Amino acid sequence: MTNLSVLVLLMPLLGFVILGLSGRFLPRGAILTIAWGACGLAFFFALISFISMLGTPAANRTADQVLYTWIVSGNFQVSFGQLFDPLSAVMLMIVTGVGFIIHIYSAGYMEHDDGFWRFFCYLNFFIFAMVLLVSADNFLFLLIGWGLVGLASFLLIGFWYHRPAAVAAAQKALVINIIGDFGLMLAIFLIFLNYGVLNYVTNSNSAAGVFNLIKPGSVGSGVSIAIALLLFVACAAKSAQLPLYMWLPDAMEGPTPVSALIHAATMVTAGVYLVARAHPLFELAPISLDIIAAIGGVTALFAATIALFQLDIKRVLAYSTISQLGYMFMAEGAHNYTAGIFHLTTHAYFKALLFLGAGAVIHALSGEQDMRQMGGLRKRLPITFWTFLIAALAISGIPPFAGFWSKDDILGSLLSQATTGNSALFYILWAIGVITAGLTAFYMFRLVFGIFFGGYRGTGYAKRSEEDEDEEDEEDAQHTAGNRLSIHEAPAVMTIPLIILGVLSVIGGLVGSFSLFGDPRYQPLANFLAPLFSDVGAINLAPTIGIGWISTGLSIVAALLGIFVAWRLYGKGFAYKESKNPLYQLLFHKYYVDEALAFVIINPIRWFGGTATSLLEGGTLDGGSRGIAWAFKKLSLGLRRLQSGYVRNYALAILVGVLLIIIYYAVRG
Amino acid sequence: MMPLSAYLIMSAILFSIGVVGVLIRRNPLIIFMSIELMLNAVNLSFVAVSSKLDSADGQMFVFLVLTVAAAEVVVGLGIIVSIFRTRRNIDVDEMNTLRG
Repeated sequence: MTNLSVLVLLMPLLGFVILGLSGRFLPRGAILTIAWGACGLAFFFALISFISMLGTPAANRTADQVLYTWIVSGNFQVSFGQLFDPLSAVMLMIVTGVGFIIHIYSAGYMEHDDGFWRFFCYLNFFIFAMVLLVSADNFLFLLIGWGLVGLASFLLIGFWYHRPAAVAAAQKALVINIIGDFGLMLAIFLIFLNYGVLNYVTNSNSAAGVFNLIKPGSVGSGVSIAIALLLFVACAAKSAQLPLYMWLPDAMEGPTPVSALIHAATMVTAGVYLVARAHPLFELAPISLDIIAAIGGVTALFAATIALFQLDIKRVLAYSTISQLGYMFMAEGAHNYTAGIFHLTTHAYFKALLFLGAGAVIHALSGEQDMRQMGGLRKRLPITFWTFLIAALAISGIPPFAGFWSKDDILGSLLSQATTGNSALFYILWAIGVITAGLTAFYMFRLVFGIFFGGYRGTGYAKRSEEDEDEEDEEDAQHTAGNRLSIHEAPAVMTIPLIILGVLSVIGGLVGSFSLFGDPRYQPLANFLAPLFSDVGAINLAPTIGIGWISTGLSIVAALLGIFVAWRLYGKGFAYKESKNPLYQLLFHKYYVDEALAFVIINPIRWFGGTATSLLEGGTLDGGSRGIAWAFKKLSLGLRRLQSGYVRNYALAILVGVLLIIIYYAVRG
Repeated sequence: MMPLSAYLIMSAILFSIGVVGVLIRRNPLIIFMSIELMLNAVNLSFVAVSSKLDSADGQMFVFLVLTVAAAEVVVGLGIIVSIFRTRRNIDVDEMNTLRG
């Protein structure tokens, strides 16, 4: 099997280094060649490796290539290597493939930006970090990749660093992600304490990996629960689950291709990947999987309710991402890791498509992101409209689009887990999944109708929410929305990626399972990933046909209901009425979570910092040095009075001194 | 002969008068006169003791003290004259420009 993972890792790294050092001086064409070349070659090598893996028999599909032995300390070794197995092959294809598509799109979207070279430099860095994360063969380099991906997201969210909102969002993302990094570090410490090694599986440097030391079917002790939960803290931070989701909606301050790549398709899926990769650790503590499923479910419902009434189109998509990630965690909590990964791949297609489509709309309207200023764009932006519609149908779970197969897989396994395990939790989660599917369909089609149907409601003057004030040069004249006739479709470099992703959103679901239709042997993705998950216990993953049809039927009904309600309310265009209903206000203000956090955590910390500064720095250090000066000044003022200038005072002083000496000697005798 | 203590007490009284004169008077000439008085009081006590001890050392010392007193008066009077020429006023209390 040809394993070219090294090249997949090196190409974006080279691109990042070259662009970082010299990108400022290169012309556009050279920058694009390097950036597209790096990502494109990475995708090409990933594709070759993937195809070659398809050609090898299933038993031989794991290859752990050790590249460099880093730490050798007695019996303990840490080496840098890459694990190439079906899971990492799937992840590499997604990361480099969708990444490459977005590289192409960004050339058009960032065309007018002065930081063009910087953007592609950071994009390549992100691809490198993500490849490192998914291909590393030990937990230490997973952690390194995890942190680098957080750094890349910080750089890209805060790309327009002159905007305070963007900088604040980048800081928020980084701070919340660091909480996750901390959880991951603690988990790694515990893993090392418990197992003595850090690499996943046996390789040329190590006799046994962590997963080899775990007997399938065993139940671990409290340490295992701690490890699993700490790993999940990291996943919750990176994949924006409750209670660490707050950074993702704010991260929409970054350019739209960044939102598409990082916050829809790749980075946020790192958490889902980690649960799938480290599933033996999670299987050791089954209660942790129940917790993961529960949190995933609650998050999915929570985020979907917030998305119902948001006005900024990117915010709606952000909450939608959080909600869909909740689905993936629900699937993994039901022990069906394949369903989680499947939804990850289909979600990458349609969510990236949704974001890129939104980006095309924003680009056409010169920076307008508020849904109240849009409408009736389907005639002017046909390609954007049709691809956006396909993605909306996919995410709503309408057959035969991609989202239907994966969402259905998840709901089916939830219901079968509920019925065979007789578990109330999974009944509730299944119900949440169906309800959320309905809500998803509703808010997605509210978005579609709001943007593309009805009459154009815009004033024509975009609030420039995404562009910097410095960007107002004559190049923007052709994109000014002041003249409605100038709203035109995006250039080919942006629409071709939309079309590619649209095709993927249609056919991407066909690697799923056709067991519903009576052919349980046809499940290509599940079969491909099966050798990895052979140690997952005898939990019934695939639902019986009866259960499957109940679940599928109800979810399709819910989705159609959502679309119908959206059509009734918004079919003629989006009429915004702010309602005084307190429930509406609660959802519109996102449950006031940000305000609550500011009140409970941020303001006390600010107060404490300010007080400590004024006490320690102002009072002690500053005051101390000023106080010494004051003491000396007072002393000097006092001593000054001896120098009166009067001769007679001096004569008196002499006399007094002489008298003292005489007395001294007289007393001494 | 009178007892030595009489000469020494006389010398002490003259010395005290001289000290009080230096401290109280404002005219520098009077201050100089008081200083001379102090010096001469010391001369008296030197001579009295040397006569009592039959040694010429005390009287030799008086020579030195007289010489020093004379030189000091010359310099001091020169300073007073120069001060008077610039300030037209020799009140010691007015000479406080060296105050801190």
